[in-house]
Amino acid sequence: MVNDDKEERFLMKYVKLFCLLLIAALSTGMQAQTGGSQPAQPQAASPAQPQAAKPAPSIASSVDREVTILEREFVSVAEAMPEDKFNFTPEGMNIQGSDYKKVRTFAEQVKHVATANYGLWAAVTGEKPPYDVSDDEKGPDSVKTRAEIIKFLKDSFAAGHRAAQSLTPENSSETVTTFFGPTPKIFAATFAVAHAFDHYGQMVEYLRMNGIVPPPSRPQPKK
Amino acid sequence: MKHVRIFLLMVALTFAVGAFAQAGAPAKSASPAPQAQTAPEQASIASVVDSQISQYEKNVVGVAEAMPDDKYNFTPSSLKIPGAAYDNVRTFAELVKHTATANYRFWTTLTGDKMPANIKGPNGPDELKTKAEIVKFLKDSFEVGHRAAKTITAQNTLEELPFFRGTQPRLYIATATVIHAADEYGQMVEYLRMNGIVPPASRGRM
Repeated sequence: MVNDDKEERFLMKYVKLFCLLLIAALSTGMQAQTGGSQPAQPQAASPAQPQAAKPAPSIASSVDREVTILEREFVSVAEAMPEDKFNFTPEGMNIQGSDYKKVRTFAEQVKHVATANYGLWAAVTGEKPPYDVSDDEKGPDSVKTRAEIIKFLKDSFAAGHRAAQSLTPENSSETVTTFFGPTPKIFAATFAVAHAFDHYGQMVEYLRMNGIVPPPSRPQPKK
Repeated sequence: MKHVRIFLLMVALTFAVGAFAQAGAPAKSASPAPQAQTAPEQASIASVVDSQISQYEKNVVGVAEAMPDDKYNFTPSSLKIPGAAYDNVRTFAELVKHTATANYRFWTTLTGDKMPANIKGPNGPDELKTKAEIVKFLKDSFEVGHRAAKTITAQNTLEELPFFRGTQPRLYIATATVIHAADEYGQMVEYLRMNGIVPPASRGRM
């Protein structure tokens, strides 16, 4: 069953990533943030035993894991579209009976997501984006080529990691002003991921229309 | 993006109301009050998760209802787009059933509900054929989501629960399920447009 295989890949894809992230978290000694009422590990009771216990999950690590998964999947799809197809829109295919009037091109999808990423994640950290993201629909006019757009996208994910890692139990519910309006930090941080995956689903179809199987859906090499 | 703005505004208002409702407590507590400090925050995280579930419930149910009954088994491979790569992709019905199935699989981890016995694989119960049956299955799965969001408390936000072959925090499982639905929603949007149907969330826009 093709779909069973896909499900298995879906399972394995995330299992592998989680293992990788767990190892990374252990190796970097990511500091744990307990959930307020969840008691911290009583490490002070055994100061002479610096064992590498599995770090307790935190709001920051939980959200950052989502940003990491999104970044890997989204960037892979953006990079899978060749330069000469980057401005592809289904409208140009004239599919009989379809309605693709004025939909975004592939490039516009990527720029829109990167812009929204900045709009939400930079608000969480309070940083000023290095791009003009005042037009949240189209993004910065200065970003035009495939290489520029992909760099813009990747830079937006760097802002996403900073945003995720800034979250604590104490500040998650603080309201920040995004260019969409005021919203809690935890909402801005996680909704950016959902919003991007929404567009990811559309971009996957744009790729398939051009004969390109999205990288995450390609057969994985068997070990 | 208009709908996102409106939705975020609603979220902000919800939180503003929540904060206002909590304003009865002293702004600066003179004595240690750990319960008073943590409870509003954890309640807010549960509300955030529930808000996101509501947003994608609206989106996914909207597109599921927008596809006519006689197009429910549509797949882009039937369009025979020259050079396209649509071999063995899910039909529209399978996308909806798959989304609902994932909703059940992940959110029941939080609620402790049993998975429906008729869910055998990633695309849900084979016996669900009609649009009405599939849309009901989808709506029921989001109902589980709302109950899952409400389980998030100060004590268990970061509690590790089974997820695939490992464990993940309750918060992560709750929101990753929304993200999965968003991905499938994006694909459904394209299936609708291929059939000349503008997705409900995009109607009335330039």
